[in-house]
Amino acid sequence: MTEFTDPLTGESAIGDPTAPEIGSLPEGDHQHAADDETVNKTGTTTVGITTDDGVVVATDRRASLGGRFVSNKNVQKVEQIHPTAALTLVGSVGGAQSFIRTLRAESDLYETRRGESMSIHALATLAGNFARGGPFLAINPILGGVDEDGSHVYSIDPAGGVMKDDYTVTGSGMQLAYGTIEGNYDPEMSMDEARDLAVTAIAAATERDTGSGNGVVTAHVTADGVDIETFDSVADARGE
Amino acid sequence: MQEQNQQAYDRGTSIFSPDGRIYQVEYAREAIKRGTASVGVRTPDGVVLVADRQVRSRLIEEDSIEKLHRIDDHVAIASAGHVADARQLVDFAREQTQVNRLRYDEPIGVETLSKEITDYIQRYTQSGGVRPFGVALMVAGVDRDGTPRLFETDPSGTPYEWQATSIGGDRETLQGYLEENYRNDLDLDGGVRLALETLAQTSDEIDADTLEVTVVDAETATVRSLDHDEIESHVAELEEEEE
Repeated sequence: MTEFTDPLTGESAIGDPTAPEIGSLPEGDHQHAADDETVNKTGTTTVGITTDDGVVVATDRRASLGGRFVSNKNVQKVEQIHPTAALTLVGSVGGAQSFIRTLRAESDLYETRRGESMSIHALATLAGNFARGGPFLAINPILGGVDEDGSHVYSIDPAGGVMKDDYTVTGSGMQLAYGTIEGNYDPEMSMDEARDLAVTAIAAATERDTGSGNGVVTAHVTADGVDIETFDSVADARGE
Repeated sequence: MQEQNQQAYDRGTSIFSPDGRIYQVEYAREAIKRGTASVGVRTPDGVVLVADRQVRSRLIEEDSIEKLHRIDDHVAIASAGHVADARQLVDFAREQTQVNRLRYDEPIGVETLSKEITDYIQRYTQSGGVRPFGVALMVAGVDRDGTPRLFETDPSGTPYEWQATSIGGDRETLQGYLEENYRNDLDLDGGVRLALETLAQTSDEIDADTLEVTVVDAETATVRSLDHDEIESHVAELEEEEE
């Protein structure tokens, strides 16, 4: 095999499909078990539901230490990373924040270099490649986005597994939220109906999961962009 | 004195002459002119590449002279100039298309690929101890949205996009013919015919045995090399028209 090198730098001239364009992903072991107690985790329940008109993402707002102590009551766990896509923070807060910054930079560079924004499938593949290197990022986010092929929701697991679905849930309150959505999801749903279902799913997790709570954040992702709203309680989110 | 000065700026590729030229890059362009010509024609239905193989001896196996190269499902490249240099860039392009698939699980855009190649070529005009690539390429392909694209790379590392163009020897003649006769509503067969007609401007007769024809079909986004019989029937049609 020919090794293509840049004659100026001596480095490989072929891109690394698993490395970010700028900076590098952390290397080495999974964080030491001894540090585990002081690492902020989102605990979390995050939900993504697709409709014909777009994607609704909803999350709680709690950060905790091991689900036993609430270390922050006002975390925004869904962020825009692309003109028409949002990613949730699930798992280690540090890993998730750096993951979001990296994907945002990738998405921006892709768009300015190529004159078009990344497809959601490309973004999900790239996110999987970055997570794939190892479980050190300790994240399990949802990617929700809209492109010319329609509305998409993906879950990305800590080892880089990328799974597409009509709706998906990740985080410690996952079973409660899934229980709410199963049987109530309808592919013909409007954005408002999907939002109500997502909020109800977060409400169920808030009631019973110690890692989830302190209000709701919703994101409406459509072809026009990403609209994020924060509510101090489930009742506020429902407009009660 | 002039002669001596020029030699001083001949030695390193990354050295400007006082009038702002990089001689090694210009010499690389001369090397391309010594190559046989290839013609590229873009139509709404896809892109056509036609190359003429220079056969030095009747004993040589024609298939061993490669001017048109399949890069990925949806991209082909024509080369003119130093064959060995071209092979390096062709393989570089092949690897880049796979990197894009690994990274994004998508076929690479033709413009993106062309710019990856020209950025690589450019590095060889700015580094010590290396010489530029003595080769020009035509990068023909179809984007993800079905748009046919045709790019040219040159030894300075500049990309150009064309509706129709040629690389290699007799470029002025061929380009002149394309300027006169290109229409943007040709179908793929019409594109093949125009490319063959254009190539015929440089020789008395065109021989189906020494021609290579590759099309990148916009609808299927796939590269297809025409077999000998297909090329022969196009050539026969062309000859009939002339008579």
